[in-house]
Amino acid sequence: MHSASSIKQKFLKKWIMGLQLCNSSKKNMTIMERRKAIKLSADLALASVRNCTTRWSRALVASASQNDDNQALLQHIIGSDAAKHKKASIDVVANSTTSVAKKIASKKILKRSWGIRRVRKLSNVALKDPPYSIAKRLVKKRTQLLKNLVPGGESMDAISLIEETLDYMVWLRAQVDVMRSLARASERLDGK
Amino acid sequence: MNTPSSLPEMLHCADMTVLERQRARVKWQQDPLQLHAQSEGQRYYYGGGGELNGAFGLGQSIESLLGGGGGGVVFGDVPNHQIKPDPGVESGWLSSFDLSGLAYGACGFGGGTGLDANFAINRTLSCPPAVVAAAVSPAVTPAVTVEKGKESAVSEKMTQAGRESSKKRKTDKGHNTKIEDDSKGKRIKGCPEEGESKIMVQSNSNNNKEASASTSKENSKVSDVPKPDYIHVRARRGQATDSHSLAERVRREKISERMKFLQDLVPGCNKITGKAGMLDEIINYVQSLQRQVEFLSMKLAAVNPRLDLDLDNIFAKEMNPARTASFPTIDMLSDITNPAYLPFSPTQTVASCSGMEIGINPDSGLRRTISAPLSIPDTFVDSSCFSVIPAALCTTFPNSQ
Repeated sequence: MHSASSIKQKFLKKWIMGLQLCNSSKKNMTIMERRKAIKLSADLALASVRNCTTRWSRALVASASQNDDNQALLQHIIGSDAAKHKKASIDVVANSTTSVAKKIASKKILKRSWGIRRVRKLSNVALKDPPYSIAKRLVKKRTQLLKNLVPGGESMDAISLIEETLDYMVWLRAQVDVMRSLARASERLDGK
Repeated sequence: MNTPSSLPEMLHCADMTVLERQRARVKWQQDPLQLHAQSEGQRYYYGGGGELNGAFGLGQSIESLLGGGGGGVVFGDVPNHQIKPDPGVESGWLSSFDLSGLAYGACGFGGGTGLDANFAINRTLSCPPAVVAAAVSPAVTPAVTVEKGKESAVSEKMTQAGRESSKKRKTDKGHNTKIEDDSKGKRIKGCPEEGESKIMVQSNSNNNKEASASTSKENSKVSDVPKPDYIHVRARRGQATDSHSLAERVRREKISERMKFLQDLVPGCNKITGKAGMLDEIINYVQSLQRQVEFLSMKLAAVNPRLDLDLDNIFAKEMNPARTASFPTIDMLSDITNPAYLPFSPTQTVASCSGMEIGINPDSGLRRTISAPLSIPDTFVDSSCFSVIPAALCTTFPNSQ
């Protein structure tokens, strides 16, 4: 499909486009605002270069589209088929939020129903506590952490989470590369 | 050795009816002869089991003998040093018993070679007995000399047996792969299972729960071995957890496969074993990348207040030349846009340059190839960026100012 270089070029183009739009839409931004705008545009550019085919990119777009201020930017970067993507991404968001809510609710119910028996069994379990259960708990904890890191990870299962993490990592790296080179360039320019 | 994987099954079978046990054995070694031997083995096993337990105290040797069906017969015979083959047993069988029995006795004498002897027995017994008999029959005559107590002959014969059995191991694919793949975890696996099996031998109670627990544990341990026949056996046992465990195994395989990719991708992750440690690395890496993005955006924001427009304009010329209007040098020719176009393309080549140095990275293959080299050209890119961009930008600045 793409080579890494073409990916980076595309990303840079989209990003600069987004930056431009931000710049033109809002004058005299504070440094924090600028930062936010830069990050948002970079994220959106990344997502749009990824064609919104992966879950993390859709989640990025979705999280951006929740804020009304970003609509113009979104339209601009994502482009003509923004509507389609937005729909999909909103679906993603809705799915994730509902599923998370459901999960929490079901967990609560489960806890309540197990509460009585738990107390009795607790001493028994604590006595045994086999090593593999400790490992399992560790892995679970880390998986949860990873879910929080990867955009849209809350609604993924283990396999897709790892796949998405793979993909996300590669693209994040490309993003970092481009941003770094641009930062260096602008720094250099600033020094002149 | 296939005892670690096969034994719990076998021992578990010992609690079942004879029919079930026979079926299990047939699955394990597709040899009809085994059925005869097995029933005998069982008889001897029940007769002399306790005594032998006391006499040898070698859980492994007991297992190995049990594992090989016919071994039970040898088991009963060896302590008395007399061979009592059943009249119904074929002569081929007899010879094989001779050999293994004597070998076992020999290993009892020569303490040093005990372990090897055990292995050899294991191997020979794990093969289909008929083949063993055929292959080993020339070695029966030396076996007589063994009885006289010549250990050199013993070792010779042992090696012979070992060789032959190893030959057969190659033919014996299903078990073979299991052996190879299990060899790593064998030591760890062997101990608890030995213990369990001992317990089961001694108690002989029909403790279903324990049995299922042990099998499930075994399931998880052998999970990384894709063997259709093995799964087949599992499925046939007809336990409620089976479909679940199958699905679980497939899932785990998938996860571990992807984890391997991730391991390749994350620098410094390939030395770490264990899922938790790997996840730690991955989390760290992703977090560091995200922080880098944050930091870089902050940096850009900090650098840009004065420069934002400039950079934007520089890039804007590339995007839409009309925007050069904001420049003071508007009255410069329209082909200013072309020189002004230049600074962007170097940055583009900078970006692409990093791609070039990575090599050809088609998107699909991106995951693997990108891993190591990307961190190195990074510095290259950035150093080249110093040289390329400012030069290009400087050319525009005199123009614009």
